[in-house]
Amino acid sequence: MRFWLVRLASVAVVLVGCFLLQQWAAASLTPYLQSLVFLAGGYVALAVSLNLINGITGQFSIGHAAFYMIGAYTTAFLTATFFKAQPLDSTAWVVLMVVAGSVVAGIAGLVVGLPSLRLRGDYLAIVTLGFGEIIRIVVQNVKALGGSFGIDCRVEPAPPSIMLMWLLAILTIAICRNLLKSAHGLPFLAVREDEIASSAMGVQVTKVKVTAFVVGSMLAGAAGAIYAPFQVFITPLNFDMYQSFIVLTMVVMGGTGSVTGSAIAGLLLYLLPEYLRLMKQPGTSKAISIGGPAVAAGLVGVIVLVWLLRVVQAKVVGSKWQRWAGNLGALAATALLVYLGSLALHGVPFLRSRNYTMAELRMAIFALVLIALMLLRPAGIMGHHEFSWDGIGKRLRRRTSGAKA
Amino acid sequence: MGLGLTLLPLAAFDPATLPGQLVYGILIGSIYALVALGYTMVYGILKLINFAHGEVFMLGAYVALFISWALGYTPEEMQRAPMPSSLMVLGLMLVGSMVVCGLVGVLIEFMAYRPMRNQPRISALITAIGVSLLLQYGGALFLPVSPPPVIREEANPVQGSLRVWIQKPPEPLLGQYTEAEREFEQAKDAHKNEQYKIRTNGTTEEKLAALSDKLAAARTRYSDLERQIQPKSIRLILPHGLLVMAGTSLVLMLFLRWLVMKTKIGRGMRAVSQDFDSAALMGVNVNTVVFTTFLIGSALAGAGAMMYALFQGLTISTFFGVAPGLKGFVAAVVGGIGNIPGAVLGGLIMGVAEALVIWSGLDMFKDAFGFVILIIVLLILPKGLLGSNKVEKV
Repeated sequence: MRFWLVRLASVAVVLVGCFLLQQWAAASLTPYLQSLVFLAGGYVALAVSLNLINGITGQFSIGHAAFYMIGAYTTAFLTATFFKAQPLDSTAWVVLMVVAGSVVAGIAGLVVGLPSLRLRGDYLAIVTLGFGEIIRIVVQNVKALGGSFGIDCRVEPAPPSIMLMWLLAILTIAICRNLLKSAHGLPFLAVREDEIASSAMGVQVTKVKVTAFVVGSMLAGAAGAIYAPFQVFITPLNFDMYQSFIVLTMVVMGGTGSVTGSAIAGLLLYLLPEYLRLMKQPGTSKAISIGGPAVAAGLVGVIVLVWLLRVVQAKVVGSKWQRWAGNLGALAATALLVYLGSLALHGVPFLRSRNYTMAELRMAIFALVLIALMLLRPAGIMGHHEFSWDGIGKRLRRRTSGAKA
Repeated sequence: MGLGLTLLPLAAFDPATLPGQLVYGILIGSIYALVALGYTMVYGILKLINFAHGEVFMLGAYVALFISWALGYTPEEMQRAPMPSSLMVLGLMLVGSMVVCGLVGVLIEFMAYRPMRNQPRISALITAIGVSLLLQYGGALFLPVSPPPVIREEANPVQGSLRVWIQKPPEPLLGQYTEAEREFEQAKDAHKNEQYKIRTNGTTEEKLAALSDKLAAARTRYSDLERQIQPKSIRLILPHGLLVMAGTSLVLMLFLRWLVMKTKIGRGMRAVSQDFDSAALMGVNVNTVVFTTFLIGSALAGAGAMMYALFQGLTISTFFGVAPGLKGFVAAVVGGIGNIPGAVLGGLIMGVAEALVIWSGLDMFKDAFGFVILIIVLLILPKGLLGSNKVEKV
């Protein structure tokens, strides 16, 4: 009884929360900020759904954007063809499209998943990558889907996309969490740890893999189906290889298998480059501009910093405070180096004549953060762990008891 | 409105152009093979898909560009005076690209991949993607990207092309055609030389205009005859540059073959690719082997990039390596990743397949076609064409 009450209450909270988010965003945010909120939800959904395939089941898929694309293009095609001639209002239409998009993406997942089961590890990765590229190039050349120009899929009046996307994100998280917490999830984890051993133990490996693949693809397709009407105009370039790579990066960076990690990394990695794009000089509305010498010195500085931090990680053993002192020392040394380096590099005319805005630098910074995080924390932000209130409580208690002793 | 592929031009499947396309495919395939070798060597030893390999390729093209600039083949200089090229220039660009790319590859391995060696492979893969993004976007901050630079054609010492008749056109026509072609070439040269002179006031507008008319007349006559002989003959047109490219690639591949099969370090490479840990226990210096692998793999990419950019006259950007990188990668997998002859075979298959796709008029699908081949091959032979089929054990 209590279980059902909690369930019901949490579903209600989620529904109300997403509804309020939609109302707040629509009322008080600029369209650009609205798209940030929307896409943040979208990347959470994509990252967590890919985590179901890559992290929880241990299959190596690097073509997730293909299923996202299939969902989006299914919606776009149906909307462009049928939307005007049907009686549904826009919200109901988008929900219908979510069903359609996820079914088509699920079928595609089945088509890719079934034969790929002969392949393991990297080979599966390569096939999914190839599948993603093939889908994109085919769409690029099919006139009915707008070709490389793109396709218009306006749904009027605008549907509450932010609410729908965040509902999907939370649904995705809920599916993965419940799978991990229930007996149904055990075969998935077993397949991840060792396929042959788990099949010897009676796990139906094929069924598990195909299920993971199809469910993951369906969720990505659903995300695409919500994305298309929000974006209004979609082109194949919205779904290229780098989309897949970025989603994959989110999964790995969050810690493969950790649902919380994927969600957090999805938010962070999407918002970081966008935040850099928006960064202004403090107190003014001018974009930040950095001189060439500082950029070059900063680039070298990050490399040195990562190296120093790794040395600290490996060499400094001692109390937590000693390690933190080491890290801070590394940071300070790097800051000094960058400062001196940028002064020294002022002598290079090629660098001195250049200025970069944050918008130009953001992808390079993104790549550096990626490499640095991977070198310093190869298991991802959360490792294999999950967020839980109990865990937080335990950690806090440990900290206080440690302070007493 | 159907999902029809209605964009096909009708001139596709012309049997007269098939042999030419096939040979062209093989020549271009040699570059894909060079790139594939880098992927396959690294994968064979570290089991890492080195996504940054395409970006090393890109850097190779940039190095060649800088060397050509340093030797005076800049756009400004080219307008001032005719500047002949020599094999020396070609050699300098080749060696320069190879050396710099080799060093960059080694540096990437040392900074980014070595710390990841004992980590989960997917983390290493993400690092590789990160390095690739860093070189693409970070490179765009410092390298010249706009207007898109191109290595000047004048820097290429092997101009012209070799023509092989498979079916000769009837005699009077052939004679006329050869004559017209010679005249056209002469008119072109004369006109070009006069153009340089006018900048240094060595000639007059009238002289140049007369030469222009002559050139136009020669061109009309030549293209008329060209149109006449085309349906009556089959021929191969092989640009000398592409032949040099394929020849150099072949030499490099033979060198690699010798290195891997006959030298001590090559034996080490083979041992490490069979079993990393056992090889280390048997006294193979694993770090030296990995170092050499990256050095050679990246140098091959640099050589390929320089020749690809120069002989095809392509514009260079920091995304220059993405397409050849992907094709080389697919070639490596098709041939059986980790297998060196397989990479060469895969590269040739990719080149020929691409040429066939263009020949059949589906050239907008040429990037997808490689992946189609890849998927078909992997579904039939899960380890690629020449890959070994090991049974996985618990």
